[in-house]
Amino acid sequence: MDSGNNRLFRLPFHLPNSVTARKWCVYISGVLYAVGFWLFLDAVIYSKHANASDLHVTFVDWIPFLCSTFGTIIVSSIEKNRLLEGALSSDSGLGYIGDSLDSTLAWQARAVLFLGFALLAGGMSGSVVLLIIKFIVKDYTSYPTLGMGINNVLGNFCIILSCVVLWVAQNMQDEYSYSLNL
Amino acid sequence: MFEIKVSPLTKIISLSGFLSMGFLLVILSCALFHNYYPLLDILFFLLAPLPNALSKSRYGSADFMSDSSSQNGNDFSHFLTGMFVTSGIVLPLVLQHCQLIAAESCVMSIMGGSIIYCSIITFSWFFQSSFDGEDDQLFT
Repeated sequence: MDSGNNRLFRLPFHLPNSVTARKWCVYISGVLYAVGFWLFLDAVIYSKHANASDLHVTFVDWIPFLCSTFGTIIVSSIEKNRLLEGALSSDSGLGYIGDSLDSTLAWQARAVLFLGFALLAGGMSGSVVLLIIKFIVKDYTSYPTLGMGINNVLGNFCIILSCVVLWVAQNMQDEYSYSLNL
Repeated sequence: MFEIKVSPLTKIISLSGFLSMGFLLVILSCALFHNYYPLLDILFFLLAPLPNALSKSRYGSADFMSDSSSQNGNDFSHFLTGMFVTSGIVLPLVLQHCQLIAAESCVMSIMGGSIIYCSIITFSWFFQSSFDGEDDQLFT
């Protein structure tokens, strides 16, 4: 496929360079997010329509999913260059505060990024806590009922994975353009 | 290089035939079981190519020289495309798991939706490849 001039297939991508790799990583991240979203929605619809037990999905089950989604939005919408600039400036001057505006922005970016990752981790651990407290402790351990809690955990895990893939894709592009600038 | 010459009209006619076959499969999967939930699948697969087309007309194609705002716009549209395609495939599975639609209906709507999406993608692909062919004729 990527054997230079005498290619076998007429495919629109020539070499897996950084841009196409970034594109496919972003596609995969979208796919993972949709899988997580539908895993969770499966639990909700199952609880509404095909549930035999007396345990139902309530608003409490939505909270980890909402936390993960907000965390994904925050982490992926932050400007990565701002973070890098802040790191470089804080590395270069040890005691010397050169650009106070720049360092303030970097500090804000780091705080918001921390908030985003905390929301992601909170969503994941919240879903695990929900699985334990709502399902396992109350002896709902047979499968079709337990599946609702398991789906919640798996959905949140997929959303975190999508966020990680998106982060890697965006940072990959940044390193590429950085080396190009050098 | 061996290449089959097909007139664009034949391409368009065969593609529209494929597209209508996809619609037929999805509508049949609803009508045979008197259950119109799988029609949502068509909506997802019709929405799926939309973000890419919009961002292509707005930001142009992404290369390494473009600035970060167009990159982010393209990223968002790719993300949305991946989400919509996966949603279209997963939605019948979820509905089947929740016992809202039958298993046959699930399989038929997935196949129909995939055919719809593939025909739309192939349609935009034909335009691109015809432009590329003109470029090749220009430069060689």
